Parts: sequence; structure tokens; C-alpha cells
Amino acid sequence: MSKSIETQTVDLPTGEIKSVEQLNKRIEVLERKSAREKKARNLAEDQLERYSLEIYQTNQSLKNALVFSTKKKSELEYLGKASIGVASELPLNEMIGNMVELTCQYCSAEYGFYFVTENGVGVDGKLDKAWSKDNGWLGNSELQKLVNSNLPLNEPDVLESWLVSSVCDLKSQPLKRFGWIFYMNFALSDGKIGWLAFLSKMDQVDEDIFPVLATARDHLISGIRRRLTDVRILKRNIQLQDSVNSLENAKRQLIQSEKMASLGQLAAGIAHEINNPMAFIRSNMEVLKEYLQDYKSLHDKLKSELEIHKNLDLSYFNTLSKKVDLGYIEEDSADLLISNIEGLNRVRDIVENLKSFSHTGDVKLVQVSLNQCVDAALQITGNVFKYEHQVENQLTDLCPLVLGNLGQLQQVFVNLFINAAYAMEGGGILNISHTEDNQRVIIHVRDNGSGMNEETIGKLFTPFFTTKPVGVGTGLGLSVSYAILEAHDAQVTVNTEIGSGTTFNLSFPVSI
Amino acid sequence: MKGIVFVKFNEFIDELCGDEFWDELLDEAKLPSEGIYTTVGTYDDQEFFSLIGLVVDKKNISAKDAQFAFGKWVFKELYEMASARAHDFKDVFEFLHGVQDFIHVEVKKLNPDSLLPEFEFLSETSNHLSFHYQSPRKLCFFCEGLVHGLAEHTGQQITVSQSECEHEGGQRCVLEIEKL
Repeated sequence: MSKSIETQTVDLPTGEIKSVEQLNKRIEVLERKSAREKKARNLAEDQLERYSLEIYQTNQSLKNALVFSTKKKSELEYLGKASIGVASELPLNEMIGNMVELTCQYCSAEYGFYFVTENGVGVDGKLDKAWSKDNGWLGNSELQKLVNSNLPLNEPDVLESWLVSSVCDLKSQPLKRFGWIFYMNFALSDGKIGWLAFLSKMDQVDEDIFPVLATARDHLISGIRRRLTDVRILKRNIQLQDSVNSLENAKRQLIQSEKMASLGQLAAGIAHEINNPMAFIRSNMEVLKEYLQDYKSLHDKLKSELEIHKNLDLSYFNTLSKKVDLGYIEEDSADLLISNIEGLNRVRDIVENLKSFSHTGDVKLVQVSLNQCVDAALQITGNVFKYEHQVENQLTDLCPLVLGNLGQLQQVFVNLFINAAYAMEGGGILNISHTEDNQRVIIHVRDNGSGMNEETIGKLFTPFFTTKPVGVGTGLGLSVSYAILEAHDAQVTVNTEIGSGTTFNLSFPVSI
Repeated sequence: MKGIVFVKFNEFIDELCGDEFWDELLDEAKLPSEGIYTTVGTYDDQEFFSLIGLVVDKKNISAKDAQFAFGKWVFKELYEMASARAHDFKDVFEFLHGVQDFIHVEVKKLNPDSLLPEFEFLSETSNHLSFHYQSPRKLCFFCEGLVHGLAEHTGQQITVSQSECEHEGGQRCVLEIEKL
């Protein structure tokens, strides 16, 4: 610090009075100082008053803010609890009962009521009961009557808002015991109306509560509507599920009927397939019967010879054997038996395939061999192709397994084969092969028949569409086949050319 | 500027130069407030700078010396007025931290519109403290005086200097406090 302020001696008139001028000057200085201090004091006092006023006003505004925020807190608590209640899964009556309790407390009402009317008559809710803060829900039919007499129960339309009125007794005279009743109603199902009513002892109604009550009313009504809608949706869902079940059932029956219809078309051919082996088995059996007679006659002669001579001469035996041609009989009998067994095996196979084809079964998908499935279908339709057509089945056990229902897939192939035979009237080649692509196996069923025009292709899978004469086809074969293939997650494409033939390509996901 | 500064400056001048000198200053300064100051009022900063300027002229000292002297003198006055919490500090460095963290906070509670300087502490060892004094009023010398007044109060020997000063061409004012 280079230099400080020097202390100055004030010329106070403590000692010798230097001059009147100096004294006057001193007096003037002190007067000005005094005047400044007086003004400063006044300023400070004014400021103090302003501060006091500000403090008072701030205090008042804080008190008001506290009252306001307490009120808002109470409103928010009421609305919050009401919303939680409305959104809860409580039964409707319980939920609305809780709403009455909350509203009664929020409005400081004496009693709260909830009841349901139908044509103006109480039928449900907390009928003949009143809720009070001290006692909860208690039976009180007198109060219920009082409330009923103050509400427009016979009005068919629901109110659009809360209504408030002074309470009158049963003779419509003003009742001093209660000051006010305020109430609202809402529509329930089947023309019923729910009522919420509150009896208040207060002399004056605080109008500020009504916007809050209006919000709570909106919440409650939307909650009730949601619940009623939920119930309707639930009923509709049950109906839809029933319809789905009926449709599933009808679909199963349709598939089975169509299967039986296909079987009907094939019945003559299948009968022929069974009759053929039966015929030659019968013929063979006739021959075997004659051979048995020959054996019996030989046996009788040998027996009598032994009874007479007690021994058997070899030359005599040879003569007898030669006479009945025993060597041929033995050789032919073996052939006939083999032929019969083969014939019976053919019949057994046909019957087994028919059994698996016609079996209703369940729709459970298991690993199946498309090769076996096609073989079985060919066996059933064998007679259709026997005389004029050639069947080239190139499927082998190398064809990948798929997830499917054997009977249903057999039905698809039977349909395709019958259609192919119909398209190759007068002869042709049915070729069945497979390719694989990206975890899918594609079965190609190709015929070199008449092919299809665009109209036929467009309606190929349409139910009841058929190109066969009346009484020959049901028109359901391919539409049912399509439904079966869809259930197997299989896709169908068709290549066709008029005069050259048609190829159905069935693509199945490979079962891993 | 808060009225307390003007009232204390009045007392400072009265004590050092007498009330006639203060009367003379007011007479010449022709201030809008006419020098009628109360601790609860707020007055134009320029009145303070006018009064300081007149003291400088009349006493033939620098503005730096005038501010410093007032700062050193006024510390004990302000200290007496400060809340009890401010009396807990027994060390210059601790107190300076407390100014920022506590005393100014208390001042703001009573005078929300008051414009207070800010200290940005730059470095500190046991014997040395460096801080950036930031105030649009640029009363860094007054601040130096206050720190000296503080050291007198705590009974510590210190030096206060400025490594940078806006009044001497610097970009900012940086006060360096050294304990001896």
C-alpha cells in the first residue's frame, strides 16, 4: 500500500471558539447530517413497512397456496384412487362400491349409495344399504327410500352429468337433516341403470368439487363400458370358437365324405382287383380239391394192399403213382399254393390300403414316407391304370420323409391319380418323381393327357367345380386336397398345356 | 449496490476524515440519492465510484489505495453483521472458501437481487492460495483490502498481490495470497 487516507482532525468546538463563521458552518454541517439521517430513517421505516406488507402478502399467498395445494392433493388422491379402482379387475359391483366410498370421503358427504334399477325399480347393487365413513356399508332402507324419492328413477335416459339438489322428505318437503343430495347414473347391460348418490349435511355445496367429480364420472363410465365391452367380446369369442370348432368338424366330415366319394368311384375297379385273385384262388382250390381226391384214392389202394399182403411192393406203388400222376400233382400243388398265397397277399394289401385310406383317424402329423403313400394310392387306383395306361413310379426309399397324415396324403394322391387317368382317356403315361430344393421335397405327378384350359386352371381348387360328367365327380376332390395340403404346410403348383398333359408339383417341408 | 456499503463508507469517512469532509463530498458529488443512505436500500454503483473519485482527488491518493483502505476497514464491520456460521472460520484460506460456499449464499437469501463477486480458486497449497476475482464492478483492490482485514482478524501474517489485473492491462484479476 503506497499511501493511506490521512486521518483528519475535525474542528470541533470543544476548545477555543475560533469564530462565529466556523460555528455556523459546523452547525450547518450537523443540520444537513441530521436532515440526511432523518430522511434516511424515514426511508428505512418506509422500506420496513413495505417489507412488512410484502411479508404479510407473501404469507397470505403461501397460506392460499397451501390451501390450494392441499385441495389439489386431495383431488389428485381421489382421482388417482378412483382410476386405480376403475382399472382394477375387481367385480363390477365391488369396484363401484369402492368408488362410492372414495367419492363420499372426497366430498365429505354423510352417506353414499350405489344401486341398480330396472324400469325404475331397484334390482341390484348395494340396495337398501348406505355407506358412511364411521360404519361402512350398513343396511338402511329408510335412507334408501329417502334417496329414491329424491332421484328421477323413472327417467328412461341416463343423465349427462352430476346433478345436485336440496333434499326433500318423502312428502316433498325440504328436509333440514340433510342439506344436499348429488347424484349421477350410467347405463348397464340389458337396459339397467346404475345410480350413485350422496347425502350431504353441509349448508353449502362447494362447487369446486364438481369438475373433479365430472372427471371421476368419465373415468367410471369409460371403465364400466370397457368391462361391458369385455364381457361382450368374451361372449363373441366363445361364439366364434364354437363356430371354428363346428367348421373344423364340418371340414373333417367333408374330407371323409369326399374320401368315401372317391372310394365309390373306385369301388368297381377295387372289386375287380379283389375278384381277380379270388377267381384264380378258387380255380386253384378246385384243382387242389381234385388232387386231394387223387391222393385219397391212392391212399385207399395202398391201405387195402397192405391189409391183404402185409407188405407193399415197390413196382405196385410205382404203378399206382404213375396212374394218378403223383409227380405232377406234387409239383403243380406247390405252384398252386404259391399262386394262392400271392393272390391272398394281393387281396390283403388292397384291403389294408383301403383301410388306411378310409380310416378317419386324427389329424396328428407324424413322419411318413411319401414313397409308401404313393405306392398305397397306386394300389387303390391300380385298376384305373391297369389296361390302357402305363404307370412310371420313380419314387424310391431315397425320397425324404415328411411330417404328415398318411390317410390324408393318400387321399390327395388318389385324387390326383383319378384325375390324371380321367385326363388320359384312351391311354397314357402317369409319371411320379421327386426333386429336392432348400429343405423341401417336391413330388411331381405328371400325365400326358388332355391338359387344362385357363378357365379350368382358375377354378381348379374351387369346391364343386368339376369337368367330369354329372354323377362321376363331386367337384370336391381338389378343393379338399388343397385344404389337406395347406394343413401340411405344402404348396401346390400346376404346369399344364392343352394336348400335352399336366404336372402337379406338391412341395412338402422335409421332416428333420 | 447495497446500501450497507454506502452506510459503511460514510462511517469510514466520518471516522477517518470527519463528518464535515463527508458533507463536503456529498455537496460536490450532487448524487441522485443526496447521500441519504439506508442499509436496506439499493443505490446506483456510480454513486460509490463518484464518492471514491472525490476522496481520491481531495486526499491526493490513488483509487487503488482508497479502495484498499476501505476494504481493510470494512471487513470487521461486515464480519460483525455476518451470521454466526461465518465466525467459525479461523483461517484466511478457509474463510475465503467459505465466502464462496456459505457467506454469499446467506447474503443471497436476504438479498436475492444482490450482485456478488465470484471467486474461482486456481491453486492452493498450505501457504499459498490463488483465485480469480470476477465482478463487473472490478473492485479487486477493495477485495485485497478485505483480505487484509480478514488476516488481521485471524491474526495471520499475509501478503496479497495480483499476478494479473484488469486495471493494469491483464485479461482478468488473479489474487495471490501468501501466508508468511
